[in-house]
Amino acid sequence: MSGQNNGKQTEIEVRGLNLWYGNNHALHNISIDIPKNSVTALIGPSGCGKSTFLRCLNRMNDLVKNCRIEGNVRIDDKDIYSKEVDVVDLRKRVGMVFQKPNPFPMSIRDNIAYGPKIHGFSKNEIDSIIEDALRSGALWDEVADRLSTSALNLSGGQQQRLCIARTLAVKPEVILFDEPCSALDPISTSKIEELIMELKKKYTIVIVTHNMQQAARISDNTAFFLTGDLIEYGKTDQIFENPKMKPTEDYITGRFG
Amino acid sequence: MLQIFLNGYSAISIEFLTEMPRKRMTEGGIYPAILGTIYLIVGSMGVAVPLGVLSAIYLNEYAQPGKTKWLIEMAINNLAGTPSVVFGLFGLAMFVKYMGFGASLLASALTLALMVLPIIIRTSQEALITVPEEYRYASLALGVTKWQTIRQVVLPAAIPGMITGAILGVGRVAGETAPILLTGAAYFLPRLPDSIYSQFMALPYHLYVIATAGTNISQTRPIQYGTALVLLAIVLSVNMIAVSIRRHYRKKLRN
Amino acid sequence: MSNRKYQEKAIESLLCLSGVTAVVILFLICIFLFRDGLALFQNYSFIDFLIGTKWYPTSQPNQFGLLPLLFGSIIVTFGAIIFSVPLGIAVAIYIAELAGEKEADVLKPLVEILAGIPSVVYGFFGLVVLVPLLQNILDLPTGQTALAGSIMLGIMALPTIISMSEDAISSVPRSIKDGSLALGSTEWQTINKVILPAALSGISAAVMLGIGRAIGETMTVMMVTGNTAIIPGFPDGLFVPVRTMTATIALEMGEVPQGSEHFYALFAIGSVLFITTFITNIVAEYIKKKYKFNMGAGQ
Repeated sequence: MSGQNNGKQTEIEVRGLNLWYGNNHALHNISIDIPKNSVTALIGPSGCGKSTFLRCLNRMNDLVKNCRIEGNVRIDDKDIYSKEVDVVDLRKRVGMVFQKPNPFPMSIRDNIAYGPKIHGFSKNEIDSIIEDALRSGALWDEVADRLSTSALNLSGGQQQRLCIARTLAVKPEVILFDEPCSALDPISTSKIEELIMELKKKYTIVIVTHNMQQAARISDNTAFFLTGDLIEYGKTDQIFENPKMKPTEDYITGRFG
Repeated sequence: MLQIFLNGYSAISIEFLTEMPRKRMTEGGIYPAILGTIYLIVGSMGVAVPLGVLSAIYLNEYAQPGKTKWLIEMAINNLAGTPSVVFGLFGLAMFVKYMGFGASLLASALTLALMVLPIIIRTSQEALITVPEEYRYASLALGVTKWQTIRQVVLPAAIPGMITGAILGVGRVAGETAPILLTGAAYFLPRLPDSIYSQFMALPYHLYVIATAGTNISQTRPIQYGTALVLLAIVLSVNMIAVSIRRHYRKKLRN
Repeated sequence: MSNRKYQEKAIESLLCLSGVTAVVILFLICIFLFRDGLALFQNYSFIDFLIGTKWYPTSQPNQFGLLPLLFGSIIVTFGAIIFSVPLGIAVAIYIAELAGEKEADVLKPLVEILAGIPSVVYGFFGLVVLVPLLQNILDLPTGQTALAGSIMLGIMALPTIISMSEDAISSVPRSIKDGSLALGSTEWQTINKVILPAALSGISAAVMLGIGRAIGETMTVMMVTGNTAIIPGFPDGLFVPVRTMTATIALEMGEVPQGSEHFYALFAIGSVLFITTFITNIVAEYIKKKYKFNMGAGQ
């Protein structure tokens, strides 16, 4: 039940998090420590609360009506639900990549430039940010010669990498991935996975996935959720090879056959 | 329709469109009426479009379900169903009398602006609804404020739909008669309006006048047909532009 | 940080303010209409206004009886509804259920165009085409009758009725229709027994709004109904000239001195008109809300 600290420095520290949608108690007393510069996977059957939990980390749940949250979420040792915190600043520091690629209906360049421009970077800075972000997003080689074409003409996988690059351009510390590959083909998926492995050197990554192989392939730590409870959390190898809790074992073996 | 077109077509000439009416409107052109209608369109849309778009943004992006939202939507629905002649009475009591604008272009344009406001709000709301929610989430997740998200992402995507609404409003303003009849349209004016406090002539009222109260109604039929055709042409082409813009973007959205 | 927050708050307040304008306008309309409307009853009895059968605004003493105008409006509207409702619903069924995509693609813009034609053009058309036609066919002393008004208003109410009914019919869930067809009912039985009852509330709302339109229409009726203020009988009242509330306001307002009793009487008529359409709107909205299909997701 309780989160373990595994040596590395902790980036996100959650204590006793409860969440309600109206009368529906969707998350029960979640406590977890997510280490810096690592990939943490959240797995579990649909409706288990893993995506809801992810959205607590950059307060996207604020947008949901009748959503009520209790407990403590600290990122970089600051309580993100305290009154002094500006949600807008928080989301700048904690970026998010969504299930379906959602580029804006603009050119590739404008998609990347969107965040930095609004956050007040100069034109020269933005040009170098665009290249850096696209390179880090493993997309530069494919689009360098057509930055002014519409982002909507890219393939699904490219669009998703563009969305990742767009998030990188804002220079976050944490990146949340909400099932980023569920709408993609296997080849695009493996590219994104490689990219995530690369990104963890500089960023702290939390990824929700319904694909257990994916969690096993790319994550350092894995958390298993079931009906709003955090059942088990530990090193990915340990969770998949030697789960301590019965439900975890059932879930993992059930899928692996 | 065909009859209006055929009879009207033969009455129209350059002179008809650019000259003043002569001999108690039994001869000459309809230039002042065309000009008056254009002034009305510009004036009323200048007020109604910004107000309507802002209202729609509030309703769609900010307002939480509750009493305020319910009240605003109830008011819009009722304004949409209120007869134009009632708007005319209101314009007369409020703008002409109470605010002292007199029977004028200003009073008429404001009255028409209030009348088309519900149309503008509704079409703008529809346009905002069709903007995918993902755009908003994507922008907010980048640490962008709500208003900047709306201005930079939501509005650009909704503009075509809003333009459609505005154009439909133009069609309505160009064709309305009853409100301007009570607030400033003149039966006949030998000159063009020279300020926003002047009375003015407008196409729909001009048609009504020459068709029912003019001198020698039966002999001036060609002028009546011509006026009807010009009015119809303006309103219908405006509507068709709106409809085709909407279709174009709906198809684009589907792809 | 707080600077930006204040800015966002300020913008939200500004937007809220424009949103509330609609409410303010409605409120102002009530105040201005009712203020001048009620001014009539300082000197003129409310009862006489309400049940008076004579509208002689310029005689001595003046008589401001609402009834001839009210009945004028009612008979013209009633005639319009009788013919536009069945026709409108039939067209809506055709577009929504029977027509192919091509036909619907032609018909729908056509309906929209019909809705866009200015009322004064309808009036002109009625005046030069329909009125002489009625006079000849029915052998009447004048073709400017309630019937002419009804026909024109019926045509004008059609777009509202068609497009709203079509929306209502289209929003009946596909599964309900499939369920009926799977039981071996014919297309027509399905429409008649399943789809129409399911869409009934939407269609009734459409009819209510159509009525609102017809009652409030001014220019067209003014040009084709002859404008005689007498209480019409039924059904023979259809074939004589009548005068509606709207036409009375538009016709007489130009001639009355501001602030006279007659002036206030016209505002009283306007108030009655406003209340009537207000009620039809509320009823239509209520019907639509109460029986709206719950389509699951969606706001």
